[in-house]
Amino acid sequence: MSKNVEHVLNGRTAGFVTRLFAYVADAAVVAGIVAIGGWIAVLIDDVIDQVGLDLRISLGAIYVFLIPLIIGLYFVMFWSLTGRTIGKWLLGLRVIGHDGHPPTIGRSIIRVVGYGLSAIAFWLGYIWVLIDDDRQTWHDHLAHTWVIYDYSRQPAIEFTEQV
Amino acid sequence: MSETADADSRGMTPRRDAYATIVRLVAGGIGEGIDRLLAMSNELDDADVAPSGELVGPIHADPTLMAAVGWVSELPQTITAVGTTSYRMAYPVIRVAGVAVDTAAYLAGITGVSAFVAGVTEPARTALAQERLRLSDVGTAEYARGRVLAVRAFESSVNGIVGLLSESEELGDLVREQTLGITGSAIQEIRETGAAADRLTEGIFRRLGRRPARQLPPRPAINS
Repeated sequence: MSKNVEHVLNGRTAGFVTRLFAYVADAAVVAGIVAIGGWIAVLIDDVIDQVGLDLRISLGAIYVFLIPLIIGLYFVMFWSLTGRTIGKWLLGLRVIGHDGHPPTIGRSIIRVVGYGLSAIAFWLGYIWVLIDDDRQTWHDHLAHTWVIYDYSRQPAIEFTEQV
Repeated sequence: MSETADADSRGMTPRRDAYATIVRLVAGGIGEGIDRLLAMSNELDDADVAPSGELVGPIHADPTLMAAVGWVSELPQTITAVGTTSYRMAYPVIRVAGVAVDTAAYLAGITGVSAFVAGVTEPARTALAQERLRLSDVGTAEYARGRVLAVRAFESSVNGIVGLLSESEELGDLVREQTLGITGSAIQEIRETGAAADRLTEGIFRRLGRRPARQLPPRPAINS
């Protein structure tokens, strides 16, 4: 991306496609985390079986109910800590609250609940960003947040420095 | 603009991205490992197919490494050649000796002393024939064994070379820079494509809604 475009877009609200890319990347990461967690739960179940303990309930069954919590935790943790999930970092996006800082834990929880609401009506809440004057989705309106372009540094430089 | 300066200019508190550690471990480790192996393989290929001419690069600049690469690349041929040569040298000698015995026996038969000479030459001829067969078998076996040994020696030497190369800090830095460059370019490409698609899709929807097109996306209405 040229420096000029980067400079012009920096700090402005992000559009539908970039946010969709970030969402897909996050979905892949979350799916990986959930799969690893499931594998561990099944492994523990096997060990319990082999030891001969009768707990009358499978850890795998409990884990299924924990999956929404894990997904929510992923988003809330990253939003409230840095304002960026892994997908948003890849696409150069950042979630900010009304004060310009990453959203608080409370607003992050509201936003993640809003994800569900935005998806209920055939994903209309997500598509809303295409027609909204402030480029906000339903969950953005709900949590009073914005998603902005944040190309603060070149990815390679950023990565190098982190390494 | 650095993240800190940019963040300060917006009144934001700069924070360290925690997930970079995870990305470093997974993407960095796998990518760097694969790239390093590929780079080493390419260097070995280049050394093999283009031995003449001036070569440049971190490996070619190191005469010790180049000598080691050359030695390893010639090792299979050397081992095979030694096995083959010893077999080929021994076999004709035995054959000539056998022919000499046969000739002597023939000449002895002509001169009428065959009955006496045959008692001496026949065991020698039989022994030589057996020795010739044995050497032939040994030579064939050694040839095959030489080929197998050559492959094994080559593999173990390549492992040694790879180990040597992996310890090279200069090469490690080179691989790291290339990996990061490729990763960074790919990420930038995705970002650029996404931003362009954002403008395009929003433009279409605004046109459908008969709303005026806008040059730039809006800024968030933050309370600074």
